[in-house]
Amino acid sequence: MPDSRAPLPHGFPDGFGEGPREADAVLVLRCLLGITPRDLFALIWRVGGASAACTAILQGSAGSDHDRAFLAGADPGAIRDRIGAAGARFAAPGDPEYWPAFLRLADPPVGIFVRGQPLADGHDRVALVGSRRPTPTGREVATHLARGLAAAGVVVVSGGAVGIDAAAHRGALDAGGSTVAVLGSGIDVDYPPSNGRLLRAVEQGGTIVGEYAPGVPAEPFRFPARNRLIAALSRGIVVVQGASRSGTRITAEHALELGLDVFAVPGSVTDPLAETPLDMIREGATMIRDADDLLLDLGIDPQRATDPDALPGLPAVQRSLLEALAAPMLPDAVARAAGVPVSDAISALVELELRGLVRGVGGRYERTFRAAPQRGSS
Amino acid sequence: MLPSVERDGRHGLWWPALVALPDVYGRVVGVTVLGVGGHAVTVEASVGRGLPSLTVTGLPGAAVQDARDRIRPAMEQAGLEWPLRRVVVNLAPGNLRKEGAGLDLPIAVSVLVATAQVPARSVPGFTFFGELSLKGEVLPTPGVISVAIAAARRGSSGVVVPAANAVEAAQVAGLRVVGVGTLQDVVGFLRGSWTAPDVQPVEPEQRPDAAADLAEVRGQEQARRALEVAAAGEHNLLMVGSPGAGKTMLARRLPTILPDMTHDEALEATQLHSVAGLLAGRGVLRQRPFRAPHHSVSTAGLLGGGSTVLRPGEASLAHRGVLFLDELTEFRRDAIEALRQPLEDGRIVVTRTSGSVEFPARFTLVAAANPCPCGFAGDIRKACRCREDQEARYRQKLSGPLLDRIDLRLTVPRLTKDELLGASGAEPSAVVRDRVVAARERQRHRYRRLGITCNAHLPGPLARRETRLSAGAEELLARAVDTMALTGRGFDRIVKVARTVADLEAMGDVAAGHVAEALSFRTAFEQDDGLARAG
Repeated sequence: MPDSRAPLPHGFPDGFGEGPREADAVLVLRCLLGITPRDLFALIWRVGGASAACTAILQGSAGSDHDRAFLAGADPGAIRDRIGAAGARFAAPGDPEYWPAFLRLADPPVGIFVRGQPLADGHDRVALVGSRRPTPTGREVATHLARGLAAAGVVVVSGGAVGIDAAAHRGALDAGGSTVAVLGSGIDVDYPPSNGRLLRAVEQGGTIVGEYAPGVPAEPFRFPARNRLIAALSRGIVVVQGASRSGTRITAEHALELGLDVFAVPGSVTDPLAETPLDMIREGATMIRDADDLLLDLGIDPQRATDPDALPGLPAVQRSLLEALAAPMLPDAVARAAGVPVSDAISALVELELRGLVRGVGGRYERTFRAAPQRGSS
Repeated sequence: MLPSVERDGRHGLWWPALVALPDVYGRVVGVTVLGVGGHAVTVEASVGRGLPSLTVTGLPGAAVQDARDRIRPAMEQAGLEWPLRRVVVNLAPGNLRKEGAGLDLPIAVSVLVATAQVPARSVPGFTFFGELSLKGEVLPTPGVISVAIAAARRGSSGVVVPAANAVEAAQVAGLRVVGVGTLQDVVGFLRGSWTAPDVQPVEPEQRPDAAADLAEVRGQEQARRALEVAAAGEHNLLMVGSPGAGKTMLARRLPTILPDMTHDEALEATQLHSVAGLLAGRGVLRQRPFRAPHHSVSTAGLLGGGSTVLRPGEASLAHRGVLFLDELTEFRRDAIEALRQPLEDGRIVVTRTSGSVEFPARFTLVAAANPCPCGFAGDIRKACRCREDQEARYRQKLSGPLLDRIDLRLTVPRLTKDELLGASGAEPSAVVRDRVVAARERQRHRYRRLGITCNAHLPGPLARRETRLSAGAEELLARAVDTMALTGRGFDRIVKVARTVADLEAMGDVAAGHVAEALSFRTAFEQDDGLARAG
């Protein structure tokens, strides 16, 4: 038995998936849950093809008992019907919708499930990843970056989850752009269920991709595997917010392995959600502050994504409060710092809130991303 | 049965006793307390032929039925004679259900009158009320102030009540109060051989425990200001904040800045506490009640009820004061929903098979809640550990019809040490209270035609019509509707709160600054159907 850590060639052996019998074998192999993509890939190289891999698993040289039970009774026709009923398609290596970059992975999927618009070549794709529990500012930054990318014609890739993922998909769709959601659950499973509406919108205006057959429930251990597909689908990856030891970190590492451009939005050194972005910057990721920075570094002509005149014309009191608002502060503390009477400060803070330049968080006020100092041409 | 008559030496044989003595009759006035109101009851006793027994007619409740077994030993222990004949007591009006042990005393006195142990001419003009012990003591009895009010309304010149409750009855003007400790005292008084001591007036209580004052609240300027606005406009208040932010400490200081109760308000509050037996020797409540029921309270405990005797609940005990619900999300959903009635009408109607009673319940609601299940969403020192769906479910719990009736919704941050140290000195409660009193006076004057007293009670459509907004205020509100996605109800709430802010500054028109402050109080909310993400 070959050492599973020995380097395997990129891509699948010649003849893999060719012919109806092999195609059926690829499909049922992709429905197995007991064997990891890496072990399956190694097995295929060892035995030479999909049908042979099925036989090997049935004989007990790989996979789990559950896999054997599944293979013994698997009916490819029924599986195809199930996929059709879920509104999905199956793409194996060599199919137009099987993105060739998947083959660069050390553990490429033997096939993927796709819903929505066709996954086409010729588009720049950039992944936006980050915490499922971001701060309002993190959300705002993700939306802004997604809008900027979408406006420049770049497809935004993310994980279809909540938090930064949802903000990225929504931002891209709002700007009239396209987006790809890579699911860590079955291709027809909304996870969390509250994301159902967003995923419907992604299906309409973009593509949903996943490694798992219809009906596979969302499980925590499936999400890291999903992250390698996000990286493989993209030319660059942007980390917005993420704690250390998070899924965000895993995606970023896959991106580094694949040699993608990695970008990170910095945060405060005391902010736990800034740990992954700051680590990535230390390790050589490019620091970006907004969509202009990102597009410039991607070599794409930046369409001005930021609001051109958020700040000019601000009354003196509001401007001085905004300048005094360095961190989340109590209204009376901002007033003192800016030398403004508290009652005037409250009025001015509400005005700033209505302009979208500050927001209340847990009883304190903080600046929004929109209030960030303007750069570039202005 | 017969032997007991035969053993009675005074009448010799039982047969002559039954024929020789004429039927006798006595009548006195008592009171039954139903809910919070006293209802006069005419108690008649007829002692006549028949085997020794006591029958009570006229819809007696369970506690009144109990009196049958209590009264005879009480009289005998007091050295009085119980007639060994058939005693029938009738309680009129017969269509009114009678509850409570307070009818013990009038029943006993009616029998004493019938058997001529006290002169019949001594009882008219008096109303009797009190529970008896088997030793003949007159025990403290709940509801004496309601009894006194009912007696005065009926035209009684005096009340004979338990000595322990005499001070309550003394709150009702123009009523002679006779506080009695035992059945002998009552007999002595009616025979003219005993005089009740004068009722000692109780010292007016201090303001709610003198230690609590707004001046001790460090930092939390916005929360202090929100308390002032809540007090001035009688707005209900929700405080959302992490554990340790000081929500309870702030809530406890709301009564210290409310205006003193008027005499009528004090009597209403006292009545409820008296009926619940919580007055503990105090004559009349001078300080506004502050009730903070635990979240495990039952619906009946919160709103009033009980299986036989209907007691006022915490919401009624908070009448004219503050009802504080800490950990709002932990309360039973049905209890919270049921608070809508008192919040809307200022009263609670409790219906049981024995009938329905009404308890007044006009209070300021102060609720407190954590921003999320773990309590630390939006905190700047501790990370929130809740999953998004847990948080969504939690926010769902906080939404609903109760929230619609809360005008002020405030986020109370947990302060850092620097923020506490950097805080400026605060005003004492007395100074704030003066502003509150002036603002309430202005509202009373403005709404005198409408039959309401404060901004919080202004119905939505009226709030828009009655509130004069400056051009700047109109413009700011219009922008807020666009940007903050204010709903119609949210809009009305902002107008009402802005009106109160202007009243605190003695301004006729609501200016932009007042609207801005009102908007700053809704930081805990993005939408009207629930709490926004706090962090």
